Amino acid sequence: MAAVPTMRQLGCLRSLIKTPEVTQSQIGRRFISSAYSQRPERVPLPPNLPKQFLSQIPERMQPDNGPKPVKVYPPPPSTRAACKDPVASVTESQLSVLDPKGDRKALFDYRRNPRSVKPGDIVRVTFKNGDPFNGVVLSIKLRGIDTSFLLRNELTRVGVEMSVKVFNPNVQSVEIVQRAMRKPRRARLYYMRSRKHDRRSVENVVAAYIRQKKAFLGNAKR
Amino acid sequence: MIQLKSLLNCIDNSGASVVECVNVLKKKRAATIGDRIVVVVQKQRAAGSEGTGTTLANKVRRGDIRHAVIVRVKKELQRVDGTVVRFGDNACVLVNKSGDPIGTRMNGACFESLSSRGPMARGIGKSLATEIATSSNADTFPGVVGQELRGKQWSKILSLAPVHV
Repeated sequence: MAAVPTMRQLGCLRSLIKTPEVTQSQIGRRFISSAYSQRPERVPLPPNLPKQFLSQIPERMQPDNGPKPVKVYPPPPSTRAACKDPVASVTESQLSVLDPKGDRKALFDYRRNPRSVKPGDIVRVTFKNGDPFNGVVLSIKLRGIDTSFLLRNELTRVGVEMSVKVFNPNVQSVEIVQRAMRKPRRARLYYMRSRKHDRRSVENVVAAYIRQKKAFLGNAKR
Repeated sequence: MIQLKSLLNCIDNSGASVVECVNVLKKKRAATIGDRIVVVVQKQRAAGSEGTGTTLANKVRRGDIRHAVIVRVKKELQRVDGTVVRFGDNACVLVNKSGDPIGTRMNGACFESLSSRGPMARGIGKSLATEIATSSNADTFPGVVGQELRGKQWSKILSLAPVHV
């Protein structure tokens, strides 16, 4: 390209005439990856474009093609404000139905009421259909409306355990037949299932109690 | 929870003392009170040890395959009213294919029978007494699991239980 200087002397000046832009563009042509060119600005559509021309523009350039706003829904009204502790209120309402006078609750509230049933006592439960069940109280579970107690007895040399809900409407009465001989050091007397500590049958104790009770009631009548 | 290979005490006077479960009927899971199972007699009672043994020979022998109804389980059983019952052992009573008990009475009874019964139970008792001619003592109502057995139509077995109280 460059002419031989001997032929055209002024030709050497051409390199000085060259603008730096051109040089840059050459570099740009060689190293595409390093070339930086600013993103072309989006040409706005003419403001008063007739509507019928819109269909000729590609879809992505349509004036209303941008992302649609996401609809944000407000959170539902909190029920917490309406009822702070729903479990407690349900328990209370159930207790008012099943135990209006609070007798049953007091009978098994062994942490507060000193006269209540306690683990180790012998208890007789009578159900509405007439079945009695006697046994040693192994544990009392205080769980609000689900409060229950576990009785253990032995019927014909077979151990029987029965867990009864305190507020069960099928339970007619709970009688304390005998208090524990001395205060047990545990709240749950599961060790009484082992052969060494098993209380075995309590039927004779209960039978004696019933006899005594009958005699007492008979005297009272007279 | 009675399943394959479970050993149970047999508490009737059919002659078996220990039986092994080989199948649970009408159920795809472990059997419980009132369920019918197939058992193999593993141990039999010594003949003549009972009072009536002289006339009543052992009706089953070791190795016999029989049907049985479970009457006591160690696994706790919850009723609809929240009451939970659990026994100290697993026990059953042998029955024949039609569901009638093979023995005539339960030896080690598992139940607590009632001294005072409600009118409903009494009504059932009367109908039972007419139903079962073979039962010696149809007027007993065991309280602990009677409900379950009655619910599963095993009143026949309940009628074998001796009276306590």
